[in-house]
Amino acid sequence: MLTDPPGAFFPQLRTAMLTRTIWVGIVALLALLPAPAVGHAADPLVDVAQKANKKLVKLFGAGGFSRLNNYATGIIVSPQGHIITVASQILDTPDLVVHLYDGTRLQAQVLVTERELDIALLKVKSPGKKFEDPLDEPLEYFDFLAAAKRPPAEVGDWVIALSNTFEIALRDEPLSVQRGVIAAYTKMAGRRGVFEFPYTGDVYIVDAITNNPGAAGGALLNRKGELIGIIGRELKNTLSETWMNYAIPVTGKAEVVQRVLLKDMNGNIVKDKDGKEVYEEKTVTVTMAQFVELGMQGKYKPIEGKTTIGGIGGYHGILFVPNILERTPAYIEDVVPGSPADKAGLRPDDLVSFIDGEPVISINAFHDYIKKRTRAGTVIRLEVRRGEVLETVELTLEAHPATSPSAPAPAPPKQ
Amino acid sequence: MRTTAWPSTRVAVAIVATLFTSAAPAVAQQPTTDLNEAIERALKAASAKVAPTIVKIETAGGAEVIGGGKKGGPPGPIIRKGTGPTTGLIVSADGYVISSSFNFANKPTEIFITVPGRQRYVAKVVAHDQTRMLTLLKIDAHDLPVPVPFPKKDIQVGQWAISLGRTLDINIDRPPSMSIGIVSATNRIWGKAIQTDAKTSPVNYGGPLVAIDGRVLGVIVPASNRAEGETAGVEVYDGGIGFAIPLEDINRVLPRLKEGKDLKRGLLGINPQGADAYNLPPTIGAIQPDSAAARAGLAIGDKIIEVTVGGETKKVPNYSTLQHILGPLYEGDEISLKVLRGDQEREFKNIKLMGTVTAYVAAFLGVLPMRDDPGPGVVVRYVYPNSPAAAAGIQEGDRIMKLAPANVPALSPIPNRAALLTTMQRLTPGTEIKIELKRKDGDKIETVTTKLVPMPDTLPERLPLPSSAGKALEGQPKPKDPFPPGKDPFPPKGPGFFTIHTLQPDDKKDDKPKIETGFLTRTNEALGREYWLYIPDNYDPNVSHGLLVWFHPAGQSKDGEKMMKTFRDFAEDHHFIIMGPKSNNNDGWVASETELVMHDVKTVLGQYTIDRSRVVAHGMAKGGEMASYVAFNARDVFRGVAIVGSPLGTAPKDNVANQPLSFFIAVGDKDPLLKEVLESRDLLLEKRFPVIYREMKDSGKEYFDLKTFTDFLAWLDSLDRV
Repeated sequence: MLTDPPGAFFPQLRTAMLTRTIWVGIVALLALLPAPAVGHAADPLVDVAQKANKKLVKLFGAGGFSRLNNYATGIIVSPQGHIITVASQILDTPDLVVHLYDGTRLQAQVLVTERELDIALLKVKSPGKKFEDPLDEPLEYFDFLAAAKRPPAEVGDWVIALSNTFEIALRDEPLSVQRGVIAAYTKMAGRRGVFEFPYTGDVYIVDAITNNPGAAGGALLNRKGELIGIIGRELKNTLSETWMNYAIPVTGKAEVVQRVLLKDMNGNIVKDKDGKEVYEEKTVTVTMAQFVELGMQGKYKPIEGKTTIGGIGGYHGILFVPNILERTPAYIEDVVPGSPADKAGLRPDDLVSFIDGEPVISINAFHDYIKKRTRAGTVIRLEVRRGEVLETVELTLEAHPATSPSAPAPAPPKQ
Repeated sequence: MRTTAWPSTRVAVAIVATLFTSAAPAVAQQPTTDLNEAIERALKAASAKVAPTIVKIETAGGAEVIGGGKKGGPPGPIIRKGTGPTTGLIVSADGYVISSSFNFANKPTEIFITVPGRQRYVAKVVAHDQTRMLTLLKIDAHDLPVPVPFPKKDIQVGQWAISLGRTLDINIDRPPSMSIGIVSATNRIWGKAIQTDAKTSPVNYGGPLVAIDGRVLGVIVPASNRAEGETAGVEVYDGGIGFAIPLEDINRVLPRLKEGKDLKRGLLGINPQGADAYNLPPTIGAIQPDSAAARAGLAIGDKIIEVTVGGETKKVPNYSTLQHILGPLYEGDEISLKVLRGDQEREFKNIKLMGTVTAYVAAFLGVLPMRDDPGPGVVVRYVYPNSPAAAAGIQEGDRIMKLAPANVPALSPIPNRAALLTTMQRLTPGTEIKIELKRKDGDKIETVTTKLVPMPDTLPERLPLPSSAGKALEGQPKPKDPFPPGKDPFPPKGPGFFTIHTLQPDDKKDDKPKIETGFLTRTNEALGREYWLYIPDNYDPNVSHGLLVWFHPAGQSKDGEKMMKTFRDFAEDHHFIIMGPKSNNNDGWVASETELVMHDVKTVLGQYTIDRSRVVAHGMAKGGEMASYVAFNARDVFRGVAIVGSPLGTAPKDNVANQPLSFFIAVGDKDPLLKEVLESRDLLLEKRFPVIYREMKDSGKEYFDLKTFTDFLAWLDSLDRV
């Protein structure tokens, strides 16, 4: 194409335009609308892209070998040079550098990261100054807290994604701009290699290819140029086994169940009658806005000591058919008399199909759910296929009996 | 939400209408300010209109991975099946749901369907459309909403197309996931599919592709014009090239699917002469036994000029057009053909297409013909013991002058070996034939009779030399350049396209192509490719040579000289040229390299005197998979496939008379792929291909042992057996 004479382009261009009679139709239609419409119909995305580019940075750090990239994108969230990006391996270096939109190179350092939100807060400094010092010149920025107060975007909303995808932009070159729509706003079952994706809240799935090197930490904007999300990393979705284009919403939050020491009103640790510490389970919620706000004040403490409940989960008393395949369907072979399964009326040949609304694709998946999400006392809702109908039953799980095969009692030490 | 269909068929008008109606309430509050907002609203309205008809499908059980050429599974790359829900579209109010067969490719044992605003149902598979890769399901529900199909004839390239799916959001009462694009093309995949640049992937296979007015263009499926099966085309998901089966077409065959009968592609059972599907009128080169074509009385050599389907008559300028017309048809559909037989026009009315064709079995006389004999007649080089030829008393040195089925009064003359091969291709096992022979000693003419048998899997006990009369080019035009100027599909891109490293500077000035012998390395700088070539030192353009194309195992692209040394003696004695293309990537071959490899092969075919009946693809391990893949995809060129320690790289296609393929399969008895190799062999035998199978004792993944190698060489030199 590059060697074609310029004239050769025009016939093609004309054909392309003819096939877009729809566009012409819409434009013609809009021209007929009341005057205010015409004034703004030019192309508002141009303006949005230009303005946003000044509030974003290119980020360079650790990596650059064996398919780990050493570049990413960041979003400026304060005039004093606070920047948010995805908490990736490129931050593991003291030599973190950002390039501003005008090509200025500044040193950066990580202030705090939150694994549960998959996000990091950075700060840049002016040359020759300390990180605590104010910048020589304030930067243009996205007001994150204002953005977090807006309602979430909907499926079908136009979005603009800006990022340094494939490291195509260097120094003062503008970032790459992509257009798409919100494909879905939902939770994501993602994984990166063998690691599960830490963030458990809702994400925006974007109808634009953003799952490429360098795009992580870029900005997702609505068509008005408002920040709505932070472009995520390269991840595969286990639901569909496809690469996902997603962004963590500015309204995002993580709910984490923690096992914490029980304290009394005075903050003293409570002990039981044997003098042992007592633990309780507590759901801790952290929002993106809290992270950014407290982080900039230097007050944010990352969530620690996350534990999943249980270990072996609650006791149900279902005995499944022999589990011989990776995806053996969860057919009940028998139920232990008097067990929760028995009390709920489950019978041999029932097929456990859904647990708390989630599909049970195999016996393994059922065990996995019980182990990770339940304990004695948890109420689970099962939908079982009995003949051609689905029956819904509720089971209140109990503590494992001592002789339960899934919780064998430790053998007595040999004399 | 509107539920009425837009009566207008003009897309633009429909959009305008949507914009007006959906924008109306908003205008009252604040004036519409930009085009993007108007489109946004139209997109959401379109999605909302179809959403009640888009169901969520969940499955249990089934395999973890699909594909990988496992027996019973679809061929192609291994695909991990996601665990998430998939998508379906309601097609009739009484509980029928259509979906992509991909969603059930792992053969789940249980299927559940959730309808928006209703409950979850147990679903049953009713039938599959095997040509469009759709699956019809049934749930016990009534009064379901049904989508409005967009008229197929009004679909235009460039109009909006929205793909919707239920995988991402587990909550069925929220909007389906959305990707937007336009219609990129119509009548794709042999006239069966609409093409779109909206993203299509396991996230929305089975969901609808929707026009901006909320009418449904089609049902999203993975598809490929290079492969068939429920997983074909999945590898290019989200790649800007997605497909949907028009809903109108689905609705038309719905009554047949509801009866619980799987729909198969309708087959005529012919293969064309020659490989040019675009420039020549389709001439029948082979007819599958007992096929629709055979039953109708079509004959080899008939030129198809017109096809009538459903009252519509179309001219057929080339084979590709015929494929496009027949592509969408089902088993049981009827067509009429007008053909030219000789210079007579003949009509064949109401030919009923069939769902399967009986495998073709090559007929065997039991002789090896002498090569490069300008004729008339063909000298017999070798007679297979216990063959029909032996039974008839044919002996080495006899010259076959004429041949015909016994019930034909006049014998047709056999001018040369090529004529003998084509004549034999038209005969079937069990046919009684008459042969006129000129005996070796004296010029006595005799006529013998014998009965042809199926092509056996035996090798000649010995290979008499010479195998060639050494007169290949005598009185004949020079070997044809496969790419005469102006027809080269890969024209040279600037200087240095081919550099023959062994050429001396002086040679380059020589106008006549000098025949280089020995081990040559050629590079194609434009494509960044390289191959080696071994021309035996005794190369003589008057002797036709076999061509052995070696596909190296992964990571062993530098094995050229080793291979050359292995084959040097054989290549000289039995006149073979050996070539070895190198994979682009050291990790192994990818299917897309086929065209590039074939370009190199055709270059060699054009430069040397090659016997087209002995062009063989040979490879080991990954190279063997590639060899079989290339051979099945370039059947106009290859006549043999020899693989060591590898299963087939593709599901075998049908055995056809005018493009025969013979197989030599060797595997070590300790090879971890032994089971897969055996399955591949069985698939080939099912298709009635001639297969020589050798299991090598105490061998893992190794090249031929000496005994097998000897057999291999005998096989190579007897590929032109008849």
